[in-house]
Amino acid sequence: MLLAVVETRKIFGGTTHLERVFFYLLALVVLVVFFAGLGLRVKKYMAGRPLDASRFRRARVPLEKPGVSAPVPLTQTGVDIAANRTVSRRNHAVGGAHLLLFWGFLGLLAATIIVGLDYDVYGNLTRIFGGKELSFFKGWFYLGYNAIFDTAGLAAIVGAVWLAVRRIRDTKSSVALDYTRAQKPRSGYSRAAMTAGDHLFIFGLILILFTGILLQGLRIDAAGFPSFERWTWLGYLVGSGFGALGLHGSAAGTAHFWLWWVHILMALAFVAYLPFSKALHMISAPANLAVRDPGNTRRLPSPPSGHAGYQDFADFTSKELLGFDACTKCGRCHSVCPARTGGAPLSPRDLILDLRQYADRKRGIPMVLDWEERPDQSGPKNLEGRLAGEVIEPATLWSCTTCMACVEICPVGIEHVPTIVSLRRSLVDAGEMDPTLQAALENIATQGNSFGKSSRMRARWTKGLDIPIPDARKEEVEYLWFLGDFASFDERLQEISRTLARVLTANGISFGILYEDERNAGNDVRRAGEEGLFEMLVEKNMEAFSKASFKKIFTTDPHSFNTLRNEYPAYGLDKPVMHYSELLASLISEGRVSLAGLDKKVTYHDPCYLGRYNRIFDAPRSVITSAGCELVEMPRNRTNSFCCGAGGGRIWMDDSVLAERPSANRIREAAELDVGYFVVACPKDYAMFSDAVKSTGNEDRMKVVDIVELFAEASGELALAGAASEEAPES
Amino acid sequence: MKIVVAMRQIADLVEELEVDASGADIDREFVKFVSNEWDEAALEEALCLKEAHGGEVVVVGVDDVDFDQTLFGALAKGADRAVKLDCGFEGWMPTAVRAEILARWLREESFDLVLTGVQAADDLDGQLAGVLGARLGLPHAAVVVGLEPDGSGFKVTQELGGGVTLTSHATGPLVLGIQAARQAPRYVPISRIRQAMSAGGIEVVEVEAPSARAPKVTRLFAPEAKGRAEMLGDKPSEVAARIVELIRAKGVSVS
Ligand code: SF4
Ligand code: SF4
Repeated sequence: MLLAVVETRKIFGGTTHLERVFFYLLALVVLVVFFAGLGLRVKKYMAGRPLDASRFRRARVPLEKPGVSAPVPLTQTGVDIAANRTVSRRNHAVGGAHLLLFWGFLGLLAATIIVGLDYDVYGNLTRIFGGKELSFFKGWFYLGYNAIFDTAGLAAIVGAVWLAVRRIRDTKSSVALDYTRAQKPRSGYSRAAMTAGDHLFIFGLILILFTGILLQGLRIDAAGFPSFERWTWLGYLVGSGFGALGLHGSAAGTAHFWLWWVHILMALAFVAYLPFSKALHMISAPANLAVRDPGNTRRLPSPPSGHAGYQDFADFTSKELLGFDACTKCGRCHSVCPARTGGAPLSPRDLILDLRQYADRKRGIPMVLDWEERPDQSGPKNLEGRLAGEVIEPATLWSCTTCMACVEICPVGIEHVPTIVSLRRSLVDAGEMDPTLQAALENIATQGNSFGKSSRMRARWTKGLDIPIPDARKEEVEYLWFLGDFASFDERLQEISRTLARVLTANGISFGILYEDERNAGNDVRRAGEEGLFEMLVEKNMEAFSKASFKKIFTTDPHSFNTLRNEYPAYGLDKPVMHYSELLASLISEGRVSLAGLDKKVTYHDPCYLGRYNRIFDAPRSVITSAGCELVEMPRNRTNSFCCGAGGGRIWMDDSVLAERPSANRIREAAELDVGYFVVACPKDYAMFSDAVKSTGNEDRMKVVDIVELFAEASGELALAGAASEEAPES
Repeated sequence: MKIVVAMRQIADLVEELEVDASGADIDREFVKFVSNEWDEAALEEALCLKEAHGGEVVVVGVDDVDFDQTLFGALAKGADRAVKLDCGFEGWMPTAVRAEILARWLREESFDLVLTGVQAADDLDGQLAGVLGARLGLPHAAVVVGLEPDGSGFKVTQELGGGVTLTSHATGPLVLGIQAARQAPRYVPISRIRQAMSAGGIEVVEVEAPSARAPKVTRLFAPEAKGRAEMLGDKPSEVAARIVELIRAKGVSVS
């Protein structure tokens, strides 16, 4: 009798009814564990403060850029996830490997679901209702299925092996993969379990994938290589391998039987393990990417009602709690963090891991090989202690420069900075801070500036000018110039402010200042955690704005720029806010000024609050290149720029504990380039890097200059660079 | 334990102070007034004592420009009551007058300690604690750097200068001029000050301006430059030689 060849295969690897019952019971248990685990997590998120729904209906200001100051549209998030864009950023090799594993795994997941649908759903339904068990897992469908999903299997294996090899090989050499804590608990700690968990995850996955492919081979081998199985190309190939080794027929069948159980048990174990381990990121990471809102860092959220800052578990938002669960310990934030690099007791990765562990312990959620051990009950094990101060050390929280490098690079969209500031607010509320920070805040509260100078001295810097600067409170101007404290009070920067004033006057820009009514804008006050003082400063500045008549604002200070542009609108500011680099660049692009070639070799430092925060990269560069300078980029530029160490109130705190100041680290980077000038577009940068050039002994090789100094020197009508110093009468 | 802290305003020294038309006072028109930093130390010490041993802290002072700010700050830091003695006075108040006003109010109150700053920028002699103690007929001490309850009284540590301190035991009530608290004055977040402000809570007591006998300021003037400083150059050897020469010429006592 001739049997029609049906292209299909047996689904279930077992043979007896008992095995079948055993398998389904086990699968049931596994699914219960899986969903119970997920349920615990979801309940944890629900216990946090609800997600601010306004992000979905916030009126868009034209200036808002999706993914920068406004939430990322879901379609873009979809593309980001599908293409693993956040994973491949700045590391295409790892991104590529992850992409293979990602799609390979998704493919195999789809394959499993299809088989389940056919065998368990369609098969059973047709048996019960039609009396005869049917299957669509045959014919052309079967062939296509195998061809496609064998390819997926190969992709997954290649990706996983690649990542595993990197994990083993680079763990010691790569800062990102080294789990040593930045903040060392007094009692000591061990992260051996985390390392073991990582290995279990990746090698477990590889084993499951490998056994799956081997099974295909054994099955085809045992079936005597039916020709249609050539479509199952990888299995066929592996099967031929077995054949060549002399494994045939029933022996292959027996091997298949046992290996099937090994494979199935491992796969089921993996499903149960998923919600309690690093594997959770397969779910939590895309979820977190979908709800991420990078605007949160540029425009900090207000404190939870009733608490000045975060005090207990319930103060975290659902989104933050989800974010903690999304962290894969990839260490990218750890390696870019200027605090960590400088030897401060802060690593954004450790912070997230500590908070995750704290949250899980609080909620009684067990983790499998995914937490840190300590001999005592300190840090994240301290469930009764103060969140800001004991669970997380004050020194850790105070070390952050709010440079946003961590938020920028985190592949799963965690927003560290708002969490850090929220925790700092509790420290400020308790009055726990560096004496120097306290003095600065007190000065700002009484005088409106961090220098502790009388507010009436704010416009003293204008004394060296021939032409007085219009008072925007008295006459109408096009631009209101908001200087900020450094450009107003720091002697080195006052000269640069005068240069900018001369340049703008010479080019016919209508601008004015607020004289003694300008107050510190409050960007760093807010980021230091002093929300009340920030609000007071906003009120004072808004009052001053209301007294003046102007169309637009431009600032010298990128920090002021950030808060005026992103945070003040919530308090009623409805004027466009620019940075002076944009103003200078527009003078050039509109052809209002012609610059002579300066023939200098320079590098440019992107200020965090101008570049990463507000995506202004090209305006300062266009000033530099239009002035005829040869711009040599530092390896870390644009979104990957390295913080000078001054932000988030750090400029008011003691830096001497650092092994290396971030500014010195940056100057070393620039010194490699053999450039004569280190160009900045931020008053704090000018101060920080001028010091760093001295402290690193690069004084003879490199000079810190502001873009406006280049502009002034290059604009023929104003030979300012030389004249500047002669003309500066000391006030 | 009930602790009264006497506080006051002074002109903010970061301002450029100018002598007014009368020539006997600073021009108060545009000057910012802030709380006296030694009074802040006294308040801090009082709050620390309260936190360690329980009790009540009452802040009191004669009304002055922006004194409410100081009182709200004190309430926000943890003071229990804030009292403003309003006598409609303006300008510079002699310490003797201030002491008299405070004494009249204090006579009606019960207390264990009166703490005040050891001095103020315009009272560098640190008269207030002494005069107040005398008016109230209570023991007093100045330049206090340590204070602890001790049996039925207090252990008081004073700084005598030259690194010498004196610790004595005194039974209260006491009037003390505080030089330094056990810790630097705490930071009080603006949100807490604002809470205190919206809660109100400053008690205003109308008092009569007394005519206490007090010295009168006849002339106020900026230090006159005498040009006595001599720059010794920047070559170490020459500087050293010049120093030796000066010591020889002016004489020095070696004890
Ligand atoms: S913002 Fe900058 S300093 Fe702060 S944790 Fe992130 S990377 Fe580190
Ligand atoms: S927080 Fe983000 S960048 Fe940092 S280790 Fe976790 S996943 Fe990586």
